[in-house]
Amino acid sequence: MSNYYVGVDIGSLTVKVVLINNDLEILGQAKIRAGYHGREVAIRLEEQLLADFGLTIKQVTATVATGYGRVTFPSDRELSEITCQAKGISHLFPSSRTIIDIGGQDSKVIKLFPNGKVADFTMNDKCAAGTGRFLEVMATALEIEWHEIGELVSSSENPTKISSFCTVFAESEIISQVSAGALKSDILAGVCDSVASRVASMTRRTGLETDIVFTGGVALNRGVVNALTKQLGYPLLVFQEPVITAALGAALLAREISK
Amino acid sequence: MVETFNPTDSKESLKLLIEEASLKGADRLNRYPKYRFFGYFCSYFPEELIIAAGLHPLRLLPDSENSTPVELPAYCCSLARGTLDMEVREKWRDLVGIGFTHTCDTMQCLSGIWAASGQSKTVDIVPPVMLKAPGASRYYHAELHTLLSKLTDLTKQKIEAEAIRNALILCANTRKLAAELDVLRPNLPSPLIFSLLRAGQLMPRSEYTHALVNSFPALKEMAEEPHNKAKVLVSSAVLENDSLFEMIEELGGRVVADDTCTGFRHFSGVTVSGSEDPLLDIVRRYSEMPPCPCKNRSLNERISYLTTLAKQRHAQGAIIIVRKYCEPHAWDAATLSESLRKNGIRTLTLELEGANAGGQERTRLQAFLESLLGYEL
Amino acid sequence: MHTTKEKRRNYRPLVSNKALQQTMGSYYALTSWHRYWGKFLRRPLAWVTSGAPVELLRAFNIHCAYPEQYAAIYSARKATVDLCEVAEAAGYSQDLCSYARSNIGGVLRPDLAPLGGMPKPDLLVACNNICGTVLKWYEVLARHFNVPLLVLDTPFLTDQLTPQVKDFVLEQLYAMAADLEEITGRRFNEKKLAEQMNLSRKITSLWIETRQYCQASPSPLNAPDLFINMAPIVVLRGSQKGIDFYRKLKDEVKERVELTQGAIENERIRLVWDNIAIWPQLFSFYKMFSEKGACFVTDTYSGGWAVEQAPGTPMESMATTYTEVFLNRSPKFRANQLINLIKEYRADGFVMHSNRSCKPYSLVQEVIRKEVMRETGVPGLMIEADMADPRAYAEEPVRNRVQAFLETFDDLK
Repeated sequence: MSNYYVGVDIGSLTVKVVLINNDLEILGQAKIRAGYHGREVAIRLEEQLLADFGLTIKQVTATVATGYGRVTFPSDRELSEITCQAKGISHLFPSSRTIIDIGGQDSKVIKLFPNGKVADFTMNDKCAAGTGRFLEVMATALEIEWHEIGELVSSSENPTKISSFCTVFAESEIISQVSAGALKSDILAGVCDSVASRVASMTRRTGLETDIVFTGGVALNRGVVNALTKQLGYPLLVFQEPVITAALGAALLAREISK
Repeated sequence: MVETFNPTDSKESLKLLIEEASLKGADRLNRYPKYRFFGYFCSYFPEELIIAAGLHPLRLLPDSENSTPVELPAYCCSLARGTLDMEVREKWRDLVGIGFTHTCDTMQCLSGIWAASGQSKTVDIVPPVMLKAPGASRYYHAELHTLLSKLTDLTKQKIEAEAIRNALILCANTRKLAAELDVLRPNLPSPLIFSLLRAGQLMPRSEYTHALVNSFPALKEMAEEPHNKAKVLVSSAVLENDSLFEMIEELGGRVVADDTCTGFRHFSGVTVSGSEDPLLDIVRRYSEMPPCPCKNRSLNERISYLTTLAKQRHAQGAIIIVRKYCEPHAWDAATLSESLRKNGIRTLTLELEGANAGGQERTRLQAFLESLLGYEL
Repeated sequence: MHTTKEKRRNYRPLVSNKALQQTMGSYYALTSWHRYWGKFLRRPLAWVTSGAPVELLRAFNIHCAYPEQYAAIYSARKATVDLCEVAEAAGYSQDLCSYARSNIGGVLRPDLAPLGGMPKPDLLVACNNICGTVLKWYEVLARHFNVPLLVLDTPFLTDQLTPQVKDFVLEQLYAMAADLEEITGRRFNEKKLAEQMNLSRKITSLWIETRQYCQASPSPLNAPDLFINMAPIVVLRGSQKGIDFYRKLKDEVKERVELTQGAIENERIRLVWDNIAIWPQLFSFYKMFSEKGACFVTDTYSGGWAVEQAPGTPMESMATTYTEVFLNRSPKFRANQLINLIKEYRADGFVMHSNRSCKPYSLVQEVIRKEVMRETGVPGLMIEADMADPRAYAEEPVRNRVQAFLETFDDLK
């Protein structure tokens, strides 16, 4: 009989669930935008995912919860996103030494020992600059859809510069750039550069070591990927589903704690 | 009146101290109607002279970290903003005076702002910053004389040398008890110790020492060897509540060394006595106590002191708190972190708006403590 | 850029600007090439704070370089953000002084710094009369360069200078002289110090005199002129070259007054400036005022170097002068200073720059603003910005406030 392990990552915007078996295979995964009701949404999402495989909660050996909503979620253990992210990424990319994770509300840089353990980490300070939220606010101000960012940015030839470190100020700054006639693609490229430069600075703070893995929702954004690659001077490895890597790590840790 | 509040039962005494720590002096008029309090901010304001003047030193702590008095800009620390806002709301009306020590730029400014916008009487002392500079002790001594006469003006009572000596003895006793508490630290919950130390900056000192002595049997009974706790050093400016220490404890940490302004650093160092002029003893005490980042005894003294302390206490990690806009602590954070890391102690630098640790801090603390405890197997 | 033309139209350039550039250019060149001549002439290079007792250092033939001055240049040349990011990545909080952060950034990455960064110091001299930050900043530098750090501790004056404070500072100055004897291998020569003090006095009188001409209407100088022309009195105090430059400047300013030439066209509103310049926006910010006929006729910042020496022996004079620096004094003193400037310069209002980087200058400003408004009846505007870091500057909100403030004068006149 096989054992099943679940990792649940309740983030500020989305909930992610990953189901693995004893052989560390990813059997299934699910994600959904949640917002305020993260806990309830996560419970339902886990149930649905298990149902797809004809399973119930009772057949799951262990569940680990992570993300902002981890504390209230009924799990066998709650662990921080950093520990889970490190676990998930070092499983997917054993050569990784640096993880850059840009999510909705925060961004982090995690440095790993060669054995995959957390050596050090840095997180953004308490403001939205350098996070997915910052990108979102700016894209909204420019009336651009989230999924259009990558393509638009790649057409920019002359990125503008965002100088303010405050999201509110930066928003008013790009609005003045619009009224001064700058191209949306150039402004957006400037926004991506600004996020990348914030995160690159955090990366240098922890000390840059290769290989570098870029994960979290923003890793799907080509504009930021390119800007960050340029600023760091190294290629970035990205998992095809960067949103679920912390949930995967949680599932892997669920297996370890029940051993 | 006092008897009501100072029980002899050990557990009751402990309860009293915890209560006082969480009240932060708010109930002082009810509890100690016959006592006259004198507010102060930094550990460098000599408590001995407040007590010798027949007053009771009350450390001023903010009741909110979100206050925005018009007199101060947003980029000023929440300690200054919160306490000034309380002055505007007349929360300090009963105080005989408020003592400011020149430590950081913010405290220096706050003194003048307070004098211009508040009702309370303010008293300044400007100790040397370079504690070992030539002439520093003589200057410090002269400043203490000035302070003495300012306090005399305030109370209209002469302060006898005998009163200063008695105050020195009381303070020495308090510090000795605090040191005993510090010894029990590894085996007791960290927020509890933190609370008990804070109470000693808020209550009348004689009441405090009495209650603390009484509570030792209960504390010893509570003490137990910790299992699988991550041992950490915490360095910070003022923390007006136990929120951070509670979170550390809850997440599997134990504070084995406390270098916070309102924690053990306030009591650390020795009380010197026996000089013909007791003011000279006070000068020595404050010149020789483990320095805060605003003071300089030599270039690396504070950094090496904390590194040695962390090693002696077998700390696995160090949590360096930077209260938002507290420059002196922010300045030392980089060097301190580097020195600790070189000695095999992992560090986490954490920025807090005030004393409260919330969701974002929880993630960081948890990840840090998890990495110390080896959960990432 | 299209703004240049407008600037010209609005602004009267100074002929002496060429002399300024020459004077400063040769100073920077001398500093940059110090390693080729310093050792040979036994003249160590010191990094010093703007409030350090430079006459004493000059008496020991020490060449002084000013990190604060370089930081202002970094900012004017748009390098501050990159340099600050380097320091922030090294663990220095974004909330620390931007002069200090950009200086440390330049130390770690000289390739990103204008002028190739600062040449390495042989010693560091800090005086805490301007802030407590300089001590922490110079501690970092002392550890990095592993060179001696001399600190002059000038206790904050809550009221007047007391004998105990003066004695303490004096004792430290003598100890500093002894340390400098050891470091330089030269004997302390009180006569040489007196000479330096003399030169210093001359340059200060010229700066005072120049500034006083601005009491005329229209004012011959505006704030950016004052900020740009203060460079030599900071870095070349006690030098003949500095004196020569200020003679030229003074003559030109005097001539402007005689010809009733204003710094800006159609001076309508006379203002006083409080706090360090907003270096990254030096022209665009002040242009918002000059284009509406508002001229900053004087300021407290560059006025910090227009203070006459205190009496006494050279050492005593230094002890008093450096301790009585305005930033080392109470809000009450500072308010009086501003009130006097408003009266002497017949100002219609004042503008305070609430400078995130400089707490001693800024935290007390609101209290001072109220006091000055009450005492003089003129309006005072507060603008939040930063002396060097453009990331703390929000153009639209600032523009709105400035415009609203200037409109209040239209109602009055």
